[in-house]
Amino acid sequence: MNHLHDLRHTLSGQGALICFNGPFTHNIIEELGKAVRKYLEFERTQRSALMDVFSVYIEATQNVANYANREGRPEDQRLRLNAGIIVIGRQDEHYVVQSGNPLLPGDGEALRQRLDRLAALDKAGLKAAYKEQLRARVDPDATGAGLGLLEMARKACVPLEYAFVPDDAEGLTFFSLKVIL
Amino acid sequence: MTESSLGRLDIQATLSSPQVQADPDAGLLCLAGESYPENTFEFYRPINAWLDAFLARDPRPLTLEIRLSYLNTSSIKCLIDLLDELEAAHQAGRGVVLNWYYDPDDDRAMELAEEFKEDLTLPFHIVPLQREG
Repeated sequence: MNHLHDLRHTLSGQGALICFNGPFTHNIIEELGKAVRKYLEFERTQRSALMDVFSVYIEATQNVANYANREGRPEDQRLRLNAGIIVIGRQDEHYVVQSGNPLLPGDGEALRQRLDRLAALDKAGLKAAYKEQLRARVDPDATGAGLGLLEMARKACVPLEYAFVPDDAEGLTFFSLKVIL
Repeated sequence: MTESSLGRLDIQATLSSPQVQADPDAGLLCLAGESYPENTFEFYRPINAWLDAFLARDPRPLTLEIRLSYLNTSSIKCLIDLLDELEAAHQAGRGVVLNWYYDPDDDRAMELAEEFKEDLTLPFHIVPLQREG
């Protein structure tokens, strides 16, 4: 019966302050976001740093929810894909937002290519890519504007870290993203 | 909506969506609060529709007042669409003004306003809110 203790120990060891594992419904995104802000206010975090953490938190969780709820997905697939995890923590002087969620295998490869392209860009390149995407036409069925990763990359102080782990039992790929602010 | 009279638009704020007030008689469209709704595009659709209708039918000037302390990227996209439309109206000689209010303690809020302003030529005022206390 020591599993929870071990889990908590692992999370604390990684500097985790707040974490959530489960479906990212809109209510949960709102309520957990409120808790994140309360916590950071309590820590007397500067307003702009607080808003950076909140913003990356929102983009990461809404990306998962939007992906899971894409037009035309059957209900059982939505539930499987919306099983995400978010960990907000601190490493030395930096806030760190980590998120993870399962992807359909083909989508993992496309996302990796997109992230590899972003990783090659400097601040000016990211801003240019952001502005280009801002005026790109959005598909009428789209649930997002395709700006979330760019926003996170622009706010991060080092390039985004990411990993894709195939989950053979489920036939899905688990995507992890780490944003250091 | 009838062809002759364009009505007001009144949307109450929630935790993740702003209060929206559009008043054709006052020539004012105001968004206030935070913006990260569950379905952002759906949320902004009636606001876009109101602005389209106003610019098409009402010759009077319009002020857009932005009092948003946070916008997710989908909201930024929707706001860009509103601003591009205002910009087109301005280029066509319409009287349009944008007043963007921000919290002076939040550098990010001002940077966002300035980034919007970079691509526009319409009258765009970035105004710090009074500090409380």
